Amino acid sequence: MTVGLVGRDATTAAFFDGAAAGQFLIRRCSPAGHASRPQVRQCSTCGSTELRWVPASGGARLVSWAVVPGRRGGEDDAPGPSIVVVVGELDEGPWWWSQIVGADPGSLAEGQRLRIGFEGAEGGEVVPVFEVA
Amino acid sequence: MPANLDRRPVIAGLGMTELGQVYGRSAASFAAEAVRLAVADAGCTLGDVDGLLTSNGSSGGVGLGLQRDLDLHDLKLLSEMHGYGSTAGAMVQVASMAVQAGMAEMVACVFADAPLRPGRSAGDVYSGPRAGTGRAERRIPTGWGGLLAATGVSGANTLYALAARRHMLRYGTTTEDFGAIAVAQRAWAATNPLAQMREPLTLADHQASRWIVEPFHLLDCCLVSNGGIAVIVTSEARARSLAQPPVHVLGWAQSHPGRLFDRDENFGLVTGAAQSGPAALGMAGVTLAEVDVAELYDCYTYTVLVSLEDYGFCEKGEGGAFVSGGALGPDGKLKCNTGGGQLSSYYMWGMTPLSEAVIQVRGQGGARQADPHDVVLVSGNGGILDHHATLVLGTGPP
Ligand SMILES: [Zn+2]
Repeated sequence: MTVGLVGRDATTAAFFDGAAAGQFLIRRCSPAGHASRPQVRQCSTCGSTELRWVPASGGARLVSWAVVPGRRGGEDDAPGPSIVVVVGELDEGPWWWSQIVGADPGSLAEGQRLRIGFEGAEGGEVVPVFEVA
Repeated sequence: MPANLDRRPVIAGLGMTELGQVYGRSAASFAAEAVRLAVADAGCTLGDVDGLLTSNGSSGGVGLGLQRDLDLHDLKLLSEMHGYGSTAGAMVQVASMAVQAGMAEMVACVFADAPLRPGRSAGDVYSGPRAGTGRAERRIPTGWGGLLAATGVSGANTLYALAARRHMLRYGTTTEDFGAIAVAQRAWAATNPLAQMREPLTLADHQASRWIVEPFHLLDCCLVSNGGIAVIVTSEARARSLAQPPVHVLGWAQSHPGRLFDRDENFGLVTGAAQSGPAALGMAGVTLAEVDVAELYDCYTYTVLVSLEDYGFCEKGEGGAFVSGGALGPDGKLKCNTGGGQLSSYYMWGMTPLSEAVIQVRGQGGARQADPHDVVLVSGNGGILDHHATLVLGTGPP
Protein backbone atom coordinates (compact mmCIF):
# COMPACT_ATOMS: atom_id res chain seq x y z
CA MET A 1 0.00 0.00 0.00
CA THR A 2 1.49 3.32 -1.05
CA VAL A 3 -1.18 5.70 0.16
CA GLY A 4 -2.93 5.96 3.49
CA LEU A 5 -6.55 6.45 4.38
CA VAL A 6 -8.37 9.74 4.17
CA GLY A 7 -12.05 10.45 4.53
CA ARG A 8 -14.16 13.22 3.06
CA ASP A 9 -15.61 16.26 4.76
CA ALA A 10 -17.68 19.19 3.56
CA THR A 11 -14.70 21.08 2.13
CA THR A 12 -13.14 18.13 0.31
CA ALA A 13 -16.20 16.18 -0.86
CA ALA A 14 -16.31 17.69 -4.37
CA PHE A 15 -12.58 17.17 -4.79
CA PHE A 16 -12.84 13.49 -3.86
CA ASP A 17 -15.82 13.03 -6.18
CA GLY A 18 -13.56 14.31 -8.95
CA ALA A 19 -10.70 12.06 -7.93
CA ALA A 20 -13.01 9.04 -7.90
CA ALA A 21 -13.92 9.93 -11.49
CA GLY A 22 -10.28 10.27 -12.48
CA GLN A 23 -10.24 14.07 -12.47
CA PHE A 24 -7.99 16.44 -10.53
CA LEU A 25 -10.25 19.37 -9.69
CA ILE A 26 -8.92 22.88 -9.14
CA ARG A 27 -10.79 26.10 -8.50
CA ARG A 28 -11.48 28.77 -11.11
CA CYS A 29 -13.06 32.09 -10.22
CA SER A 30 -16.23 32.96 -12.06
CA PRO A 31 -15.39 36.62 -12.77
CA ALA A 32 -12.09 36.05 -14.58
CA GLY A 33 -11.38 32.34 -14.71
CA HIS A 34 -8.16 32.52 -12.68
CA ALA A 35 -6.89 29.12 -11.55
CA SER A 36 -6.30 28.47 -7.83
CA ARG A 37 -5.32 25.51 -5.67
CA PRO A 38 -8.14 23.21 -4.58
CA GLN A 39 -7.78 24.34 -0.95
CA VAL A 40 -8.41 28.06 -1.45
CA ARG A 41 -11.41 29.91 -0.04
CA GLN A 42 -11.01 32.79 -2.44
CA CYS A 43 -9.31 33.27 -5.80
CA SER A 44 -5.53 33.52 -5.37
CA THR A 45 -5.38 36.19 -8.06
CA CYS A 46 -8.41 38.46 -7.63
CA GLY A 47 -9.89 37.48 -4.28
CA SER A 48 -13.26 36.52 -5.68
CA THR A 49 -15.21 34.07 -3.54
CA GLU A 50 -17.20 32.89 -6.54
CA LEU A 51 -15.28 29.71 -7.25
CA ARG A 52 -16.09 26.78 -9.51
CA TRP A 53 -14.58 23.31 -9.48
CA VAL A 54 -13.00 22.54 -12.85
CA PRO A 55 -10.83 19.64 -13.98
CA ALA A 56 -7.15 20.39 -14.45
CA SER A 57 -5.37 18.98 -17.48
CA GLY A 58 -3.39 16.63 -15.22
CA GLY A 59 -0.09 17.83 -16.63
CA ALA A 60 2.55 19.23 -14.29
CA ARG A 61 6.26 19.88 -13.95
CA LEU A 62 8.50 18.80 -11.10
CA VAL A 63 9.46 21.54 -8.64
CA SER A 64 11.09 19.57 -5.81
CA TRP A 65 11.21 16.12 -4.23
CA ALA A 66 12.21 14.39 -1.02
CA VAL A 67 12.76 10.73 -0.20
CA VAL A 68 11.11 9.49 2.98
CA PRO A 69 12.74 6.26 4.15
CA GLY A 70 10.44 3.44 5.16
CA ARG A 71 9.91 3.16 8.87
CA ARG A 72 10.70 0.07 10.84
CA GLY A 73 7.90 -1.33 12.88
CA GLY A 74 6.52 -4.39 11.13
CA GLU A 75 6.39 -7.72 12.95
CA ASP A 76 9.96 -8.56 11.91
CA ASP A 77 11.00 -4.90 12.43
CA ALA A 78 11.78 -4.66 8.73
CA PRO A 79 11.73 -1.18 7.18
CA GLY A 80 8.77 -0.36 4.99
CA PRO A 81 9.30 0.91 1.45
CA SER A 82 10.65 4.41 0.87
CA ILE A 83 8.32 6.92 -0.70
CA VAL A 84 9.20 9.92 -2.83
CA VAL A 85 7.22 13.05 -2.04
CA VAL A 86 7.18 15.78 -4.68
CA VAL A 87 5.96 19.30 -5.30
CA GLY A 88 4.50 19.60 -8.76
CA GLU A 89 3.40 22.76 -10.54
CA LEU A 90 0.23 22.05 -12.43
CA ASP A 91 0.15 23.38 -15.97
CA GLU A 92 -2.60 25.73 -14.79
CA GLY A 93 -0.19 27.26 -12.24
CA PRO A 94 -1.16 25.98 -8.79
CA TRP A 95 1.22 23.72 -6.87
CA TRP A 96 0.22 20.31 -5.59
CA TRP A 97 2.03 18.12 -3.11
CA SER A 98 1.85 14.32 -3.25
CA GLN A 99 3.98 11.26 -3.60
CA ILE A 100 5.26 10.16 -6.98
CA VAL A 101 4.73 6.51 -7.80
CA GLY A 102 6.84 4.27 -9.98
CA ALA A 103 9.77 6.67 -10.20
CA ASP A 104 13.43 6.18 -9.32
CA PRO A 105 14.39 9.25 -7.26
CA GLY A 106 17.86 9.13 -8.81
CA SER A 107 16.35 9.85 -12.22
CA LEU A 108 14.29 12.90 -11.25
CA ALA A 109 15.13 16.38 -12.53
CA GLU A 110 13.73 19.83 -11.87
CA GLY A 111 11.19 20.79 -14.52
CA GLN A 112 10.58 17.20 -15.53
CA ARG A 113 7.13 16.51 -16.95
CA LEU A 114 4.70 14.79 -14.60
CA ARG A 115 1.09 13.77 -14.78
CA ILE A 116 -1.54 13.26 -12.12
CA GLY A 117 -2.58 9.68 -11.41
CA PHE A 118 -4.89 8.26 -8.80
CA GLU A 119 -4.53 5.66 -6.07
CA GLY A 120 -7.12 4.26 -3.76
CA ALA A 121 -6.77 2.58 -0.42
CA GLU A 122 -9.40 0.15 0.86
CA GLY A 123 -11.76 2.05 3.11
CA GLY A 124 -10.64 5.53 2.08
CA GLU A 125 -11.06 8.04 -0.70
CA VAL A 126 -9.19 7.93 -4.02
CA VAL A 127 -6.27 10.34 -3.85
CA PRO A 128 -4.14 12.04 -6.50
CA VAL A 129 -0.50 11.03 -6.90
CA PHE A 130 2.13 12.03 -9.42
CA GLU A 131 3.60 9.84 -12.13
CA VAL A 132 6.39 10.52 -14.58
CA ALA A 133 4.74 11.65 -17.83
CA MET B 1 12.94 55.33 18.47
CA PRO B 2 10.59 56.58 21.18
CA ALA B 3 10.80 60.16 22.36
CA ASN B 4 11.35 59.09 25.97
CA LEU B 5 14.79 57.50 26.06
CA ASP B 6 14.23 56.14 29.57
CA ARG B 7 11.52 53.90 28.19
CA ARG B 8 13.69 52.24 25.58
CA PRO B 9 13.32 48.47 25.93
CA VAL B 10 15.99 46.32 27.53
CA ILE B 11 16.23 42.59 28.21
CA ALA B 12 17.24 42.49 31.85
CA GLY B 13 16.75 38.87 32.82
CA LEU B 14 17.33 35.40 31.37
CA GLY B 15 16.11 32.18 32.95
CA MET B 16 16.93 28.75 31.60
CA THR B 17 15.83 25.50 33.20
CA GLU B 18 17.72 22.27 32.80
CA LEU B 19 17.33 21.44 29.10
CA GLY B 20 17.29 18.18 27.21
CA GLN B 21 16.21 14.74 28.33
CA VAL B 22 14.63 15.99 31.53
CA TYR B 23 11.67 13.76 32.28
CA GLY B 24 8.75 13.73 34.65
CA ARG B 25 7.89 17.42 34.46
CA SER B 26 5.20 19.28 32.57
CA ALA B 27 5.80 22.18 30.21
CA ALA B 28 3.90 24.41 32.65
CA SER B 29 6.32 23.49 35.41
CA PHE B 30 9.31 24.31 33.19
CA ALA B 31 7.68 27.62 32.24
CA ALA B 32 7.16 28.64 35.86
CA GLU B 33 10.70 27.73 36.79
CA ALA B 34 12.10 29.63 33.79
CA VAL B 35 10.26 32.80 34.86
CA ARG B 36 11.44 32.43 38.46
CA LEU B 37 15.01 32.00 37.22
CA ALA B 38 14.74 35.00 34.89
CA VAL B 39 13.44 37.21 37.69
CA ALA B 40 16.25 36.10 39.99
CA ASP B 41 18.78 36.63 37.21
CA ALA B 42 17.52 40.17 36.71
CA GLY B 43 17.75 40.91 40.41
CA CYS B 44 14.08 41.58 41.03
CA THR B 45 11.08 39.66 42.32
CA LEU B 46 7.96 38.11 40.85
CA GLY B 47 6.05 40.97 42.43
CA ASP B 48 7.82 43.35 40.05
CA VAL B 49 6.48 41.51 37.00
CA ASP B 50 3.45 43.31 35.55
CA GLY B 51 3.34 41.66 32.14
CA LEU B 52 3.41 38.03 31.01
CA LEU B 53 3.60 36.61 27.50
CA THR B 54 3.54 32.83 27.11
CA SER B 55 4.17 30.43 24.27
CA ASN B 56 3.86 26.72 23.73
CA GLY B 57 6.00 24.18 22.02
CA SER B 58 4.61 20.97 20.61
CA SER B 59 3.43 19.58 23.94
CA GLY B 60 1.13 22.48 24.84
CA GLY B 61 0.21 23.30 28.42
CA VAL B 62 1.76 26.76 28.72
CA GLY B 63 -0.85 29.47 28.75
CA LEU B 64 -2.75 32.00 30.74
CA GLY B 65 -2.78 29.68 33.74
CA LEU B 66 0.86 30.52 34.28
CA GLN B 67 -0.30 33.72 35.97
CA ARG B 68 -1.95 31.60 38.64
CA ASP B 69 0.97 29.19 38.89
CA LEU B 70 3.27 32.13 39.63
CA ASP B 71 0.75 34.08 41.75
CA LEU B 72 1.17 37.16 39.59
CA HIS B 73 -1.29 39.89 40.61
CA ASP B 74 -2.61 42.90 38.73
CA LEU B 75 -0.89 42.18 35.45
CA LYS B 76 -1.16 44.99 32.90
CA LEU B 77 -0.34 42.70 29.97
CA LEU B 78 -1.13 38.99 29.64
CA SER B 79 -1.39 36.97 26.47
CA GLU B 80 -0.53 33.67 24.88
CA MET B 81 1.34 34.14 21.62
CA HIS B 82 1.90 31.74 18.76
CA GLY B 83 4.03 31.98 15.65
CA TYR B 84 5.94 28.72 16.03
CA GLY B 85 9.69 29.38 15.90
CA SER B 86 9.14 33.12 15.45
CA THR B 87 7.25 33.46 18.73
CA ALA B 88 10.17 34.17 21.05
CA GLY B 89 11.22 37.13 18.93
CA ALA B 90 7.62 38.25 18.56
CA MET B 91 7.09 38.13 22.34
CA VAL B 92 10.11 40.36 22.90
CA GLN B 93 8.74 42.74 20.26
CA VAL B 94 5.33 43.01 21.91
CA ALA B 95 6.92 43.34 25.34
CA SER B 96 9.22 46.06 24.01
CA MET B 97 6.32 48.02 22.57
CA ALA B 98 4.38 47.66 25.82
CA VAL B 99 7.35 48.99 27.78
CA GLN B 100 7.93 51.83 25.33
CA ALA B 101 4.31 52.84 25.51
CA GLY B 102 4.31 52.80 29.31
CA MET B 103 1.71 50.06 29.35
CA ALA B 104 3.88 47.75 31.46
CA GLU B 105 7.20 48.03 33.25
CA MET B 106 8.49 44.50 33.48
CA VAL B 107 7.28 41.83 31.07
CA ALA B 108 8.22 38.17 31.35
CA CYS B 109 8.27 36.28 28.03
CA VAL B 110 8.42 32.50 28.38
CA PHE B 111 8.53 29.39 26.22
CA ALA B 112 8.50 25.84 27.53
CA ASP B 113 8.01 22.43 26.01
CA ALA B 114 8.09 18.84 27.20
CA PRO B 115 7.64 16.62 24.13
CA LEU B 116 10.19 14.02 25.14
CA ARG B 117 9.13 11.03 27.18
CA PRO B 118 11.21 8.02 28.08
CA GLY B 119 10.98 5.49 25.28
CA ARG B 120 9.58 7.92 22.71
CA SER B 121 11.99 8.79 19.93
CA ALA B 122 12.71 12.40 19.08
CA GLY B 123 11.67 11.65 15.52
CA ASP B 124 8.21 10.55 16.57
CA VAL B 125 7.58 13.95 18.09
CA TYR B 126 7.84 15.91 14.87
CA SER B 127 7.46 13.50 11.95
CA GLY B 128 3.69 13.50 11.75
CA PRO B 129 1.48 10.65 10.61
CA ARG B 130 2.88 8.45 7.90
CA ALA B 131 1.12 7.09 4.85
CA GLY B 132 0.71 3.36 4.64
CA THR B 133 1.20 2.59 8.32
CA GLY B 134 -2.21 1.42 9.34
CA ARG B 135 -1.08 -0.29 12.51
CA ALA B 136 -3.59 0.38 15.24
CA GLU B 137 -7.09 1.35 14.17
CA ARG B 138 -7.37 5.11 14.26
CA ARG B 139 -10.02 7.54 13.18
CA ILE B 140 -9.59 8.18 9.45
CA PRO B 141 -8.16 11.68 8.93
CA THR B 142 -10.10 14.19 6.86
CA GLY B 143 -9.58 17.64 5.38
CA TRP B 144 -6.85 18.87 3.10
CA GLY B 145 -4.24 18.04 5.71
CA GLY B 146 -5.57 14.51 5.88
CA LEU B 147 -5.40 14.22 2.11
CA LEU B 148 -1.80 15.41 1.98
CA ALA B 149 -0.80 13.13 4.83
CA ALA B 150 -2.41 10.16 3.08
CA THR B 151 0.03 10.64 0.23
CA GLY B 152 3.02 11.08 2.54
CA VAL B 153 3.12 14.88 2.65
CA SER B 154 3.30 15.60 6.35
CA GLY B 155 5.73 16.51 9.06
CA ALA B 156 8.29 19.28 9.28
CA ASN B 157 11.13 17.03 8.12
CA THR B 158 9.48 16.24 4.79
CA LEU B 159 8.27 19.78 4.11
CA TYR B 160 11.62 21.37 4.94
CA ALA B 161 13.37 18.71 2.88
CA LEU B 162 11.28 19.79 -0.12
CA ALA B 163 12.29 23.40 0.54
CA ALA B 164 15.96 22.48 0.85
CA ARG B 165 15.92 20.39 -2.33
CA ARG B 166 14.53 23.33 -4.25
CA HIS B 167 17.44 25.46 -3.05
CA MET B 168 19.86 22.73 -4.10
CA LEU B 169 18.28 22.45 -7.54
CA ARG B 170 18.19 26.17 -8.17
CA TYR B 171 21.56 27.20 -6.75
CA GLY B 172 23.69 24.07 -6.70
CA THR B 173 23.70 23.87 -2.91
CA THR B 174 24.98 20.47 -1.72
CA THR B 175 24.54 18.19 1.26
CA GLU B 176 28.21 18.88 2.03
CA ASP B 177 27.33 22.58 2.32
CA PHE B 178 24.65 21.67 4.86
CA GLY B 179 27.21 19.48 6.60
CA ALA B 180 29.60 22.41 6.95
CA ILE B 181 26.96 24.16 9.06
CA ALA B 182 26.47 21.13 11.30
CA VAL B 183 30.24 20.80 11.79
CA ALA B 184 30.69 24.51 12.55
CA GLN B 185 27.91 24.58 15.09
CA ARG B 186 29.17 21.46 16.82
CA ALA B 187 32.54 23.16 17.18
CA TRP B 188 30.81 26.02 18.97
CA ALA B 189 28.80 23.60 21.10
CA ALA B 190 32.01 21.94 22.29
CA THR B 191 32.67 25.10 24.31
CA ASN B 192 29.12 25.50 25.63
CA PRO B 193 28.40 23.77 28.93
CA LEU B 194 24.67 24.03 28.18
CA ALA B 195 24.96 22.02 24.96
CA GLN B 196 23.49 18.53 24.71
CA MET B 197 25.90 17.42 21.94
CA ARG B 198 29.54 18.36 22.48
CA GLU B 199 31.60 15.56 20.97
CA PRO B 200 33.51 16.64 17.84
CA LEU B 201 31.81 16.20 14.50
CA THR B 202 33.36 15.83 11.04
CA LEU B 203 31.87 16.28 7.60
CA ALA B 204 32.33 12.53 7.13
CA ASP B 205 30.21 11.92 10.26
CA HIS B 206 27.53 14.16 8.81
CA GLN B 207 27.57 12.37 5.48
CA ALA B 208 27.47 8.96 7.13
CA SER B 209 24.51 9.78 9.35
CA ARG B 210 21.28 8.16 8.23
CA TRP B 211 18.74 9.84 6.02
CA ILE B 212 15.84 11.34 7.94
CA VAL B 213 14.18 12.60 4.77
CA GLU B 214 16.61 12.91 1.88
CA PRO B 215 18.25 15.45 1.34
CA PHE B 216 18.42 15.71 5.16
CA HIS B 217 20.75 13.48 7.08
CA LEU B 218 20.17 12.99 10.80
CA LEU B 219 22.84 15.59 11.50
CA ASP B 220 20.99 18.21 9.44
CA CYS B 221 18.13 18.12 11.93
CA CYS B 222 17.70 19.86 15.26
CA LEU B 223 17.56 18.10 18.59
CA VAL B 224 14.37 17.74 20.57
CA SER B 225 14.53 19.03 24.13
CA ASN B 226 12.43 19.39 27.23
CA GLY B 227 12.75 22.56 29.27
CA GLY B 228 11.88 26.22 29.41
CA ILE B 229 13.47 29.61 28.84
CA ALA B 230 12.23 33.07 29.86
CA VAL B 231 13.45 36.61 29.42
CA ILE B 232 12.46 39.78 31.25
CA VAL B 233 11.89 42.89 29.16
CA THR B 234 11.91 46.21 31.00
CA SER B 235 12.73 49.86 30.44
CA GLU B 236 16.21 51.30 30.20
CA ALA B 237 15.53 53.36 33.32
CA ARG B 238 14.33 50.38 35.37
CA ALA B 239 17.23 48.25 34.13
CA ARG B 240 19.76 50.64 35.66
CA SER B 241 18.91 49.38 39.14
CA LEU B 242 18.93 45.71 38.15
CA ALA B 243 21.66 43.10 38.32
CA GLN B 244 22.69 42.33 34.75
CA PRO B 245 24.37 44.29 31.97
CA PRO B 246 21.48 45.67 29.91
CA VAL B 247 20.72 44.04 26.57
CA HIS B 248 19.13 46.78 24.49
CA VAL B 249 16.39 45.83 22.04
CA LEU B 250 17.47 48.12 19.25
CA GLY B 251 15.31 47.00 16.35
CA TRP B 252 12.72 44.46 15.40
CA ALA B 253 10.49 43.32 12.58
CA GLN B 254 8.38 40.41 11.41
CA SER B 255 7.55 38.94 8.04
CA HIS B 256 4.80 36.45 7.23
CA PRO B 257 4.98 35.76 3.49
CA GLY B 258 1.54 34.13 3.11
CA ARG B 259 2.56 31.99 0.18
CA LEU B 260 0.20 31.36 -2.71
CA PHE B 261 1.93 28.16 -3.83
CA ASP B 262 1.41 29.03 -7.45
CA ARG B 263 3.64 29.75 -10.43
CA ASP B 264 6.76 31.78 -9.51
CA GLU B 265 6.42 30.79 -5.84
CA ASN B 266 9.76 31.34 -4.07
CA PHE B 267 9.22 28.61 -1.43
CA GLY B 268 12.58 27.17 -0.45
CA LEU B 269 14.50 29.96 -2.13
CA VAL B 270 13.65 33.04 -0.04
CA THR B 271 12.38 33.37 3.54
CA GLY B 272 10.74 36.16 5.51
CA ALA B 273 14.19 37.16 6.76
CA ALA B 274 14.68 38.96 3.46
CA GLN B 275 12.10 41.48 4.65
CA SER B 276 12.30 41.35 8.44
CA GLY B 277 16.11 41.59 8.42
CA PRO B 278 16.52 44.94 6.65
CA ALA B 279 13.49 46.33 8.49
CA ALA B 280 14.89 45.42 11.92
CA LEU B 281 18.36 46.71 11.06
CA GLY B 282 16.80 49.93 9.80
CA MET B 283 14.90 50.44 13.03
CA ALA B 284 18.10 49.81 14.98
CA GLY B 285 19.99 52.25 12.81
CA VAL B 286 22.78 49.79 12.08
CA THR B 287 24.02 48.13 8.91
CA LEU B 288 24.62 44.44 8.40
CA ALA B 289 28.36 45.13 8.44
CA GLU B 290 27.98 46.33 12.04
CA VAL B 291 26.47 43.02 13.18
CA ASP B 292 29.06 41.27 15.35
CA VAL B 293 27.17 38.04 16.04
CA ALA B 294 24.28 36.31 14.26
CA GLU B 295 22.05 33.85 16.11
CA LEU B 296 19.96 32.23 13.37
CA TYR B 297 17.07 29.85 13.76
CA ASP B 298 18.33 26.39 12.84
CA CYS B 299 15.60 23.79 12.84
CA TYR B 300 17.70 22.39 9.99
CA THR B 301 21.15 23.22 8.63
CA TYR B 302 19.39 24.42 5.49
CA THR B 303 17.47 27.06 7.44
CA VAL B 304 20.76 28.66 8.52
CA LEU B 305 22.04 28.67 4.95
CA VAL B 306 18.98 30.30 3.43
CA SER B 307 18.75 32.79 6.30
CA LEU B 308 22.38 33.85 5.79
CA GLU B 309 21.49 34.70 2.20
CA ASP B 310 18.27 36.48 3.09
CA TYR B 311 19.92 38.68 5.72
CA GLY B 312 22.59 39.51 3.16
CA PHE B 313 25.66 37.94 4.76
CA CYS B 314 26.23 36.54 1.27
CA GLU B 315 24.49 36.87 -2.09
CA LYS B 316 21.32 34.89 -2.83
CA GLY B 317 22.33 31.46 -4.04
CA GLU B 318 25.86 31.68 -2.65
CA GLY B 319 25.08 30.34 0.82
CA GLY B 320 26.66 27.00 -0.03
CA ALA B 321 29.98 28.51 -1.06
CA PHE B 322 29.84 30.88 1.91
CA VAL B 323 29.45 28.18 4.57
CA SER B 324 31.66 25.54 2.93
CA GLY B 325 34.40 28.15 2.59
CA GLY B 326 34.81 28.21 6.37
CA ALA B 327 32.78 31.35 7.15
CA LEU B 328 31.16 29.74 10.18
CA GLY B 329 32.55 28.10 13.31
CA PRO B 330 34.69 29.55 16.10
CA ASP B 331 37.49 30.37 13.65
CA GLY B 332 35.21 31.69 10.91
CA LYS B 333 34.74 35.30 9.91
CA LEU B 334 31.06 35.38 10.92
CA LYS B 335 30.27 34.53 14.54
CA CYS B 336 27.09 32.57 14.00
CA ASN B 337 25.11 30.31 16.33
CA THR B 338 27.83 30.62 18.92
CA GLY B 339 26.15 28.29 21.40
CA GLY B 340 25.83 25.42 18.95
CA GLY B 341 22.23 26.25 18.16
CA GLN B 342 19.34 23.84 18.01
CA LEU B 343 21.44 21.40 15.99
CA SER B 344 23.88 20.73 18.81
CA SER B 345 22.93 22.64 21.94
CA TYR B 346 19.25 22.68 22.86
CA TYR B 347 15.95 22.94 21.02
CA MET B 348 13.84 25.65 22.58
CA TRP B 349 12.47 27.03 19.32
CA GLY B 350 13.05 30.80 19.06
CA MET B 351 14.35 30.93 22.61
CA THR B 352 17.51 29.09 21.51
CA PRO B 353 18.92 31.90 19.36
CA LEU B 354 17.48 34.54 21.72
CA SER B 355 19.01 33.09 24.88
CA GLU B 356 22.45 32.76 23.29
CA ALA B 357 22.17 36.31 21.98
CA VAL B 358 21.46 37.64 25.47
CA ILE B 359 24.45 35.72 26.82
CA GLN B 360 26.68 37.08 24.03
CA VAL B 361 25.59 40.74 24.38
CA ARG B 362 26.23 40.55 28.11
CA GLY B 363 29.68 39.13 27.49
CA GLN B 364 28.88 36.05 29.57
CA GLY B 365 29.73 33.46 26.92
CA GLY B 366 32.87 32.22 28.65
CA ALA B 367 35.02 30.13 26.31
CA ARG B 368 32.65 30.78 23.41
CA GLN B 369 32.30 34.53 23.93
CA ALA B 370 32.52 36.50 20.69
CA ASP B 371 34.37 39.78 20.69
CA PRO B 372 33.22 42.36 19.78
CA HIS B 373 29.61 41.68 20.75
CA ASP B 374 28.01 45.10 20.52
CA VAL B 375 25.36 44.23 17.93
CA VAL B 376 23.74 40.79 17.78
CA LEU B 377 21.16 39.73 15.20
CA VAL B 378 18.53 37.19 16.31
CA SER B 379 16.44 35.31 13.77
CA GLY B 380 13.32 33.30 14.50
CA ASN B 381 11.62 31.17 11.86
CA GLY B 382 8.28 29.45 12.30
CA GLY B 383 6.03 27.03 10.49
CA ILE B 384 7.40 25.87 7.15
CA LEU B 385 9.17 29.17 6.41
CA ASP B 386 5.84 30.87 7.13
CA HIS B 387 6.73 33.22 9.99
CA HIS B 388 9.82 35.29 10.62
CA ALA B 389 10.84 37.54 13.49
CA THR B 390 14.10 39.44 13.65
CA LEU B 391 15.58 41.21 16.66
CA VAL B 392 18.63 43.43 16.77
CA LEU B 393 20.10 43.43 20.27
CA GLY B 394 23.05 45.41 21.53
CA THR B 395 25.18 46.56 24.43
CA GLY B 396 23.91 50.09 24.12
CA PRO B 397 21.93 52.52 22.01
CA PRO B 398 23.73 53.37 18.76
ZN1 LIG C 1 -9.91 35.48 -9.90
